[in-house]
Amino acid sequence: METLAALGQGFAVALQPENLLWCLLGCFLGTIVGVLPGLGPAATIALLLPLTFGMDPTGGIIMLAGIYFGAKYGGSTTSILLNIPGEASSVVTCLDGYQMARKGRGGAALGIAAIASFVAGTFGIVALTLLAPPIAEFALSFSSPEYFALMVLGLSLVVVLGGSSLIKALLALLVGLWLTSIGTDLFTSQSRFTFGSSFLLGGIDFMIVAVGLFAIAGVLESIRAREETTALPVPNRLRELMPSWAELKACRFAFLNGSVVGFIVGVLPGAGSAIASFIAYGVEKTVSRHPEKFGTGVPEGVAAPEGANNADSGGAMVPLLTLGIPGGGSTAILLSALIVWGVKPGPLMMTESPEVFWGLIASLYIGSVMLLVMNLPLVPLFAQILRIPVYVLFPLIFGLALVGAFGVSDNPMNLLLLAGFGLLGYVMVQFGFPPAPLILGFVLGDAMERAVRQSLTMSLGDPAILVERPLSAVMLALAALVLVSPLIGRLLRRRRAGVAV
Amino acid sequence: MKRRHLLAAGGTLALAGLVRPAHAAWTPSRPIEFVAHNGPGSGPDVFARALISAIEQDRIFSGRIQVANRVGGGGATAMNYMMERRGDAHVVGIWTSLWMSLPLVQAEARSLVTEMTAIARVAIEPAVIIVRGDSPYRSLADFVEAARARPGQVRQSGGSPTARDALVRQLLMAHTGARWAFISFPSGGERMSALLGGHVDMMVAEPAEIREQVRAGRLRILATATATRLPLLPDVPTLAEAGFPIADVIQARGLLAPPGIPEEAVAFYGDLFRRMSEGPAWAKYVEDNQLQSAFLSPADTAAFFRSYQGQLRDILQAGGVRVVR
Repeated sequence: METLAALGQGFAVALQPENLLWCLLGCFLGTIVGVLPGLGPAATIALLLPLTFGMDPTGGIIMLAGIYFGAKYGGSTTSILLNIPGEASSVVTCLDGYQMARKGRGGAALGIAAIASFVAGTFGIVALTLLAPPIAEFALSFSSPEYFALMVLGLSLVVVLGGSSLIKALLALLVGLWLTSIGTDLFTSQSRFTFGSSFLLGGIDFMIVAVGLFAIAGVLESIRAREETTALPVPNRLRELMPSWAELKACRFAFLNGSVVGFIVGVLPGAGSAIASFIAYGVEKTVSRHPEKFGTGVPEGVAAPEGANNADSGGAMVPLLTLGIPGGGSTAILLSALIVWGVKPGPLMMTESPEVFWGLIASLYIGSVMLLVMNLPLVPLFAQILRIPVYVLFPLIFGLALVGAFGVSDNPMNLLLLAGFGLLGYVMVQFGFPPAPLILGFVLGDAMERAVRQSLTMSLGDPAILVERPLSAVMLALAALVLVSPLIGRLLRRRRAGVAV
Repeated sequence: MKRRHLLAAGGTLALAGLVRPAHAAWTPSRPIEFVAHNGPGSGPDVFARALISAIEQDRIFSGRIQVANRVGGGGATAMNYMMERRGDAHVVGIWTSLWMSLPLVQAEARSLVTEMTAIARVAIEPAVIIVRGDSPYRSLADFVEAARARPGQVRQSGGSPTARDALVRQLLMAHTGARWAFISFPSGGERMSALLGGHVDMMVAEPAEIREQVRAGRLRILATATATRLPLLPDVPTLAEAGFPIADVIQARGLLAPPGIPEEAVAFYGDLFRRMSEGPAWAKYVEDNQLQSAFLSPADTAAFFRSYQGQLRDILQAGGVRVVR
């Protein structure tokens, strides 16, 4: 009850016309930043921060939070239309989103992404409103063994992410695990697999790998197959540009799954939104009645990861606002912005500056609605991009991929790496190796290795620490279950077939 | 080499005394580039923008300054860039401790700050030693006793072995003979979560990042890893006062230029950052972020590079980290 009253006060602040305007501006900027690959929310907030110093703190915070949420919203657009992940968190959306676009359901995929983002994003904010202090304590109970188990659970999803051949999926996963180990080892400060290149000391950026494997390789494959010499199909009628009832109904569970998984992973400071979207996608495929259709353009395959990466934003606000702990690059820069304005995020913020705390939360609700209202009308517009004939579209994809690589840094080495990963992706497709497991290994490998080494340092080398804590034991058991699930499925089907005979 | 330095110093003195106006001959002819070794929103980038805004607010210099993010190689790309721009006085790099530690442990990082042109040191980032609010350790001596009683079972969360927190641990362990575990985490948020969650026992942090948790009673400060007490924490003893007189490991930030730029340009920048560090905008930034303003002239900054690198090499070697230079 107290919470509701406080939140009401918050709405009174956030609904002031000038704050509404800042919220709108933030959401708008965030959406644009999200659409452009390479330029992330952290960079945008940093660049705009000096401009907001003259503003009233509440308005400034509301605008920056709008950018943060908007960027996650916009990230799906290029994933779906061009197979270019706009943000690291929307890589998984490429898998089914781009396939939907190729089947003429690009508008529907964009619509589902927007709705999933709204539903899960709002869920994340509600959970933030009601559960922030207790769930922050839960996040603190997560130690290295739990992170290890979470990463293993994520990696076990390789069996559902891979295509027809499990061996090929595992090989791709191993390549991803190796690639992520390139760079400087945190624990010893020694370089690994840098081959004498100072550039590789910092490791390879995730965006370069993802854009190369998906966008560049995808274009190369389309050119080889000479498949579409004309534009992709785009329905003329507005109704067909929006998701159908059947498609939305198919996503019912995905909305919930994305919301819960995204929020929980988002709360953990040591896990990112890319991990959340992978896990949500894996869960969706595991429980699906038609897992074989994933990767060919099913709406659930868009709704689950898009939902997860938006619920993640609400989750990431929990440790930031209740403990003063930033979970990632974007929240770290939000934290420094808050400090500049004299607002002190931490355990006392809720009681000492309730008007900022609740004003911010209320503005997240408003921002969420604004983003939906702003993005849905854009869907038919964006869908028209697919009408562009391929001789324009393919160079456009290459151009955007280059922009993305330059967004990471203007080092020409990145362009070489981008081309290299494009070729690698092309060769992989030719030989039937799925690229998704490679990305999975790349995203989770680093975090998993760290968690193992942290755990073993804590236990003085005793590996039992990895399995003896209850939470990690449960997650490892789940991972084992996922690993054997294809086998169980096959056995069940065989028995059913036997009964029928 | 030495003689040339003496001559140069003598020349500078003579110029300063006699023909002062001729000394400030060099002025920028195009926008100045501040090189940050990480992307927008990262520590060095935010610091570069803060310097620019302090310079603008106090009207220290009216020309254009822009931030260039030379990202990659964990900092090596920006350092290589500084070496490549030999003789270009319009490029200024923002150095941190990393610029000195990276070439010491990475054979691939070949660009050395000692070969670039030192311009200024402007800030020192003080550190404090913290435990949880409900921790049984009321003093640093309590913590060290516990570590001595149970070797390896008491834990500290921190960054990489070349980071300041690891160096302070090495010095403390060498001084006391106690040993405790060091668990590396990539971000400050994760280090803090591990401490608040009770998975580690101690952490070396910057005062600004723990202020609120200390106020709420979730963290307790045992000592400051500084030479003198911090103005905002007048009751907290320094390491020496707490009974552990180890060497001061300074984590500093400042500016440098490519090798081979004109003496006049060095003087111009030295003067620019001295005036900036005396201005009110800088004073406010330093206070907000709980830093210490610590300006050093170009010559003193060059000496600081050499002494810091020497200290770092000794600590790392004693701690068993492979040093390549």
